[in-house]
Amino acid sequence: MVQSIITKGKDIIAAITAGLDLLETTKEQVNIEVIQHEVRGFLGIGARKAVVKLTKVNNTTTSSTFDDLMNDLNVEDIFKAESLEGTPNPSLQKGLNETNELTGKVWVRDGKIFCKSSPDYYPTVSLSSGVTLYKNSKLVNEKTVIISELDFYEIKVEDSEQKTTWKLSMDERQLKVHLYINPGYKITRTVPDMDPAHHLELYTIEEKQVQNTIDYLEVMQKLERLRVSQGIKQTVILEALAVSEEGTFEIASGKEPSEGKNGWVESKIDLNIKEGLKEREDGSVDFREIKTIPKVERGQVIAILHPPIPGEIGQTVTNIPIPPKTTNPVIIKTDHGTALVEDKIVAMESGRPYIEKRGKLVRIKIVKRLTHPGNVDLISGNLDFIGDIDIQGEVESNMSVTAEGDIFVQKIITNASITSLGAIISYGNIFGSELSAGKNNMLVTELGHLVGIIHNEVDKIVTVIKQLEQSPAFKSSDFSRGGIQPLIRILLERKFKNFPPKVKKYIDAVRTGEKFLADDIWRLVGVSLSQIFLSVNNEVTSIERILELSKKMKEIHLLSQTAIEPDSYITIPSALNSRLYCSGNILILGKSCVNSKVHAGGMLKINGILRGGEVYGRLGVEINEAGAESGTATIIAVPNDQKIRLKKVMEGTSIKIGNVKYTFSETRTNVCAHLDEYDRIVFNSKESRML
Amino acid sequence: MIEYSLIPLENHLVVNLYGDLDIDSTEVIEEELLPFVSNYKKVHFKFEEVPFVDSSGMGLLLNLVQTLSEKGIKVKILGIREEIMEVFELLQLPEILGDGIFV
Repeated sequence: MVQSIITKGKDIIAAITAGLDLLETTKEQVNIEVIQHEVRGFLGIGARKAVVKLTKVNNTTTSSTFDDLMNDLNVEDIFKAESLEGTPNPSLQKGLNETNELTGKVWVRDGKIFCKSSPDYYPTVSLSSGVTLYKNSKLVNEKTVIISELDFYEIKVEDSEQKTTWKLSMDERQLKVHLYINPGYKITRTVPDMDPAHHLELYTIEEKQVQNTIDYLEVMQKLERLRVSQGIKQTVILEALAVSEEGTFEIASGKEPSEGKNGWVESKIDLNIKEGLKEREDGSVDFREIKTIPKVERGQVIAILHPPIPGEIGQTVTNIPIPPKTTNPVIIKTDHGTALVEDKIVAMESGRPYIEKRGKLVRIKIVKRLTHPGNVDLISGNLDFIGDIDIQGEVESNMSVTAEGDIFVQKIITNASITSLGAIISYGNIFGSELSAGKNNMLVTELGHLVGIIHNEVDKIVTVIKQLEQSPAFKSSDFSRGGIQPLIRILLERKFKNFPPKVKKYIDAVRTGEKFLADDIWRLVGVSLSQIFLSVNNEVTSIERILELSKKMKEIHLLSQTAIEPDSYITIPSALNSRLYCSGNILILGKSCVNSKVHAGGMLKINGILRGGEVYGRLGVEINEAGAESGTATIIAVPNDQKIRLKKVMEGTSIKIGNVKYTFSETRTNVCAHLDEYDRIVFNSKESRML
Repeated sequence: MIEYSLIPLENHLVVNLYGDLDIDSTEVIEEELLPFVSNYKKVHFKFEEVPFVDSSGMGLLLNLVQTLSEKGIKVKILGIREEIMEVFELLQLPEILGDGIFV
């Protein structure tokens, strides 16, 4: 037995001496191996003692057994000796471990399974998706498998591949071609190397490789098949060919036609008339504020007529031209005191220029002005003037004032009738009078509505006649001789028996309003309608004539629906027991509107109190305070798509929106009423901030 | 152009019509047939042989039936062809003449 000990000392000498003492021998009889030199630490920290190993060379002198020796060793020495003995020789250690560790384990190298069987432990593997295992060439179906050295295993993984898909699409207008591309790819799967373990989960690593196989030539061929020849963007196609992700590319685009501009009239004079009385900042109204009225002298150019600017022709990708929207010239009608010289509208006399627009129809005239210095009474007689009338006094009982332009009244109007085609502005209050502004516009609206209905019916009649002509048993041979009058008579007998009364109503309306209608077409349509459908004589009528009339009616119906500008308006301080009609806005700026009937084709606004009466605003109503404590019936109405805003409304006041009526059972403030989608009146308090 | 044959029976007159009831039938209907049938209390018009009508013809028929009805003569129209009836219905002739005329 080799006798060796390890000893420590404060330095090597001390360590050796201590060792020799323990072995009870001399220096000559031992091999000395220095394991560690002493280290002097700083202030004792990190200090280490010297360690030496002494091995007895000569056995003969040994007088004591190793066990005895061991007993003599101090505890620290034993510990040290053991730990040193445990320090393994690295190479030897590894060899030992390998055999130990691999036993009962399984591992993966280069996609193959290896294992080391052990009598008491079988390694297992489990398979995740994408991995299939063959055991001795037989497919393993179980999720988890015991691996044995005696079997032959094979791992298989599947690679997947997706082809490139692409699609060309052209929009309906043939202005754009889009290339949708979803590049193909190839996914390569491998099972990575895995370190030995008792159990392994076999999983795969995916490697995705994009394979965009779209072919430039194919794209071009497809474009050719779609007849795309214009606006092909080569760079975008190339970009799409190289793309690695799904995407859509606009690879060709045509040219949109550019919008042209309709003809227009450029006014050379500021035509903006201040809309009557204006409120001051403090809320009061200065009725002395005289509005500024534009004026032209004879020979002055009022406006310039601009022709329409046609849009530019567009082009589809298939090389088909796209026409721009047609642009229409304005239809100019130079009325009283104006003339068209080339493209200029020139005043032939001095006065107030007036330009009225309704769609593409523009009417220009010079409005003359009549100033009436005193009252309108029995001495002055009624006033009827083709231009504006400025009355500096009152309008007295039973008098009437009619003007084709605007009417200004400086003082009060009592029990009188005021009719204008333009605006009515009064600086005095209105008592028991009838005011009608924009009568022509109202008439046009009313007649337009009637014409719309009649036009509809005429179309139906035409449809029935055409249907009859298709009937196998019907002969239309007599049309050429007797016209379609006999047929119309049969149709009106029963099938369209409600038609003649409508025509009569229209004709009557035209006759009453004839003097306010600037356009003769309304009357002419009435004459035609009467001749074809109402007359008793046997004048030969053809279906073509009816169609022509139908076309004309459609035209004027559309015209009547086109907004006119500027529309007329009424501006007054207060009204009592009066009737106000206006095709445009009505503004009652003073204290009150009492027991009056008010009909506004535009907006109705009452800054003061509405007490009793019926008011209607086609474009909405705004009232500061409505209703009467005495309970006099007060009705406020608007169409179903408009709102009624009331800052304060008294109990008993009724509102009517469309056909839905509501009566307030208590006094409320800040009310904004309108219809919801179920045709119920709703109040929206948020929107009631007004005036 | 329409033609007709008359078969006077015990208590009514049967009028068989042949041909198109059209504008050319005006004289036949108004000047010959109308005065003649006015002497009977009941008149049956048979339409089996009427293949075509035009608007004037229908006007004549309306006029005929209405005139006779006013005189208290009971009128019935029988055997109308389907395609003629279609035309009549399109113009609502049955409604104009009242119930019981077209059988």
